[in-house]
Amino acid sequence: MSKFLRGLFLAVIALYFIGPQLAMARFAFQSIPTPLLTWDRIFEGWSLKALITAFGKPELWAVTRTSLMLAVLTTLVVLALLVPVAVAVEIKAPKLKPWITGVTLIPWVVPPIALVVGVAGTFRNVWPGYLVSPLAMVPFYALWAMPFTYRSLDAGLRAINARTLYEAGVSLGASPGTVLRRVLVPNLVAAVFASAGLTVALVLGEFAFASLLLKETLPTYLASYQLSSPKGGMALAFVVMILTALALHFVVRMLAKRGVEFTPGGM
Amino acid sequence: MASVHLAGIRKTFGSSVALESLDLEIASGEMVCLLGPSGCGKTTALRILAGFERPDAGRVVVEGTDITELPPQKRGFGMVFQDYSLFPNLTARDNVEFGLSIRKVDKAKRAASVDRLMEITRLTEHAAKYPHQMSGGQKQRVALARALATEPRVLLLDEPLSALDAKVRESLRVEIRRIQQETGVTTLFVTHDQHEAMAVADRVGVMEEGRLVQIDPPQVIYSRPATPFVAQFVGTVNTLAAQRDPSTGAWSVLGAPAEVVGMGQVDPAGASSVVVRPEQLQLTGGHGSPGTITSVSFLGAITRVGIQVEGAEVVADLMAGSVGTVAVGDRVTVAVRTDAGPVVAATR
Repeated sequence: MSKFLRGLFLAVIALYFIGPQLAMARFAFQSIPTPLLTWDRIFEGWSLKALITAFGKPELWAVTRTSLMLAVLTTLVVLALLVPVAVAVEIKAPKLKPWITGVTLIPWVVPPIALVVGVAGTFRNVWPGYLVSPLAMVPFYALWAMPFTYRSLDAGLRAINARTLYEAGVSLGASPGTVLRRVLVPNLVAAVFASAGLTVALVLGEFAFASLLLKETLPTYLASYQLSSPKGGMALAFVVMILTALALHFVVRMLAKRGVEFTPGGM
Repeated sequence: MASVHLAGIRKTFGSSVALESLDLEIASGEMVCLLGPSGCGKTTALRILAGFERPDAGRVVVEGTDITELPPQKRGFGMVFQDYSLFPNLTARDNVEFGLSIRKVDKAKRAASVDRLMEITRLTEHAAKYPHQMSGGQKQRVALARALATEPRVLLLDEPLSALDAKVRESLRVEIRRIQQETGVTTLFVTHDQHEAMAVADRVGVMEEGRLVQIDPPQVIYSRPATPFVAQFVGTVNTLAAQRDPSTGAWSVLGAPAEVVGMGQVDPAGASSVVVRPEQLQLTGGHGSPGTITSVSFLGAITRVGIQVEGAEVVADLMAGSVGTVAVGDRVTVAVRTDAGPVVAATR
């Protein structure tokens, strides 16, 4: 009975996710007017024309470059900030954990509009040039990625029993920095890649901050392109989603081959 | 090798006192086991010696030098943890080599030292394995080799065998003792397992609620416990009523004469009960108290028999072949063996 219910539950979940993707793919890649997209015509008129047209727009590659650059920089900033904090809290001050976890949640409590207005209002007076560059998005994205990045790192640290590994390292004469570099970080690779993957996925899909700050990123471009070319916009969104999923899958498999497993809390 | 002195150590965690006036001296090359139930402070004492906890009061002295404030990485100790704590990203050999590479030991010297330790711990054929490819016993041997590789002044073992199954535990504790004697390293071994402590230590320190209540060679701990707690924690005991003839000073237990000694420094003269080990009891056809057998457990070399006698339930360990067939419900006569050493007065 429980097996049947499990199967049923999985089937409903799969339908919930696959249904919209299929509708999206049909709208984007079938050259058939939308009212005529019935089940009996599911194999008719498939074409990559909308996607090829979208790929021909030079603006697409410019915003893709911007978004990828933002994704890489955000990932580096988030990891540089949070790896030492998560390690220090786990090893030196585990009692602070509930507080730190609470602090990392704050960005999700503050709506993007409030964050943007507050930051923009402040920096326009003290540093007018700050919000001109697309790089100004990095701190916003870093804040936004903090809650799940911290959780992923925290789960990774608990999974490897970081505290005793640290103690084992220093008992062998290594300095705390050496233990971090030679023991903890190499064993946190799964959690670090999970955090990085989630951060990249977030940056490639984030719309609110970019739109409010009037920046051209991949999501804002997709939104505006969809207005002029609905099928092309949908085709691009579909491809971005598939590529992101494939990239995450590739990373997980690559690490699995090296014997690194992703824990549920770490991914 | 180094002598160790934990002098007047006190440690609290919030309102709970983990250690109170702990004084422990370990001679150079000696192996001392701290034994006690969970929460008695034995691991805290080891962590203070390792430098992972700071005492609220007292000093940690090694070879006459106060190292209380010295960070763990500068103490020159080796430590083996309960959960092995091997570095998962390194092979067995690289784990063992870690401490030497930190000390920037010359490569050839390092290789020779690691080879020797891998051989001593019988790990040579497992050198290329990662921790997740090894059994619990192999992992703990790697942890031991890793801790010994840096030729530590003091070796600290924090319940190193408790995660292993009984057979591996038994063989590994023999190996630990052998290696400790071969290397002559001063060792503090923490465990809650009395058999382990008795089997490996030069001296056993029994701890109760943050205090060291007795530290002596295993034989003394067992046969002359200083407190009822030690008697009960180390082995099985029966508490029996005892009578003393005030005119002659002679004792009788279970209706027969018995030799009684004091517990710790306490004069047994006023005692009214004694603790008797199961192997100090026998079934006899002569003097003794009548009782009824309530349980019989065959344990290989011995048979453990439960007996209802003088209103109390006692257990007696009988050597295989020393008695005929006994069964639950049999009426027997129980007495204290006169050839198995004195029994210990339990109360004043």
